[in-house]
Amino acid sequence: MNSIRKNIVIIEPSDIVNEGLLNMIRSFPSVGNVLRHDTPEDLISGANKRKTDAVLINPFFIKRDIRHFSKLKRESGIGLWIGILYSFYDRETLATLDGVIQISDSQEIISSTVEKLLNNTANNSLLPSENLTERETEVLQQLVAGLSNKEIADKLNISIHTVISHRKNIVQKTGIRSQSGLVIYAISNHIITLDATTL
Amino acid sequence: MYRSEGTYIKAEMKIAPIIFENPSLLLLMERFGIEDAVQDKTVATICSEESIECALFLSIINLYNGFIPEQSEKLNKGCIETIIRFLKNSHNYYLEEKIPDIQNLIRSLFVANDIIEIRLIEKFFTEYSNEVKDHLSYEDNIAFPYFYSLLGIPGQRPSELNGFSAQEYKDHHTDIESKLTELKTLLIKYIPLKNSPAIKRKLLTSLFELEYDLTIHSRIEELVLIPLIKKLENIIE
Repeated sequence: MNSIRKNIVIIEPSDIVNEGLLNMIRSFPSVGNVLRHDTPEDLISGANKRKTDAVLINPFFIKRDIRHFSKLKRESGIGLWIGILYSFYDRETLATLDGVIQISDSQEIISSTVEKLLNNTANNSLLPSENLTERETEVLQQLVAGLSNKEIADKLNISIHTVISHRKNIVQKTGIRSQSGLVIYAISNHIITLDATTL
Repeated sequence: MYRSEGTYIKAEMKIAPIIFENPSLLLLMERFGIEDAVQDKTVATICSEESIECALFLSIINLYNGFIPEQSEKLNKGCIETIIRFLKNSHNYYLEEKIPDIQNLIRSLFVANDIIEIRLIEKFFTEYSNEVKDHLSYEDNIAFPYFYSLLGIPGQRPSELNGFSAQEYKDHHTDIESKLTELKTLLIKYIPLKNSPAIKRKLLTSLFELEYDLTIHSRIEELVLIPLIKKLENIIE
């Protein structure tokens, strides 16, 4: 049974909420170790090299810089992010999460939400990934900023040939070829943010 | 309303069951100017009543049902005017009906989901529809008058037409279709929309319909019109 138990990290600034949640989710059948981190950055820093399966996070840490958070999320390689909600958050912030629990939810509801999400990820992880690699994401960022192949190659210190090959992969994985289509893709996937006033 | 498979249609078949099988053919009827109730009439009867060349009608209706026409050798230059009338009616449908419908749906989507992606989708579609409009106006103002002039109907002289070719048509249409596919991909796979499933469905349905019709449109040009024009050019030379 132990092998399918998931390691969870809680990132929540309030001690009361954190302690309550910690005690509650430790009793859930799919939950293994539960750790507390002070910030999302702790997930990728060397001192915390444990395998983490899911993160329960206060969206406050996301909202302050969504782009930064999305990058961190990709780098961490963690497949499941659940929001801990006790105040209002905009849709863009919540869209970065796979699910949410409300602080007003009963233990039953929190248990069934978390269990369902934990077990879903297990199935999904068997499917082939269409996610862009870190390098492809970087190329896409430069591409939607309007840089040419040569400029991207210089900036990322790779050959033009490699840039072209990344671009092919991007088109193949996303199904989007045009510049304006890729901009929309990049926004929807939080790879870039665009100021509404610049439109 | 968008299908590309159906029965292979022959002159002696009754038209009503054919439409029941593939409702997209209502658009075809409209563009041929067939407005009356079809009753129990056959394809041959309708064509003779409406003065449409039956071989041409069969070529086009079978394209809608997913068949490549074999009858082009049976077509004569008298068909060209009917084809052009048909294509011009299609242009009106794109410009006056389908494109404005889609634009309105995108706007409704934006009202329901005030996110930047939808605003960019609107821009994307406006650019796209401008490309379509350019292509259609090229046909209306350059290609069609040239065809008319070959038929001896007053218009532009052939020498004023540069580089008109089936290949050019084909390249242009491929591009037009791939952008529509992107738009559908973005809406289905990527853009988070939570408040408006009905608008999203209507918009996607409209995009599928437009794509289907543009595909048929370019096939009519490539497989029916262009071969006829080439034949006519050879006779004139």
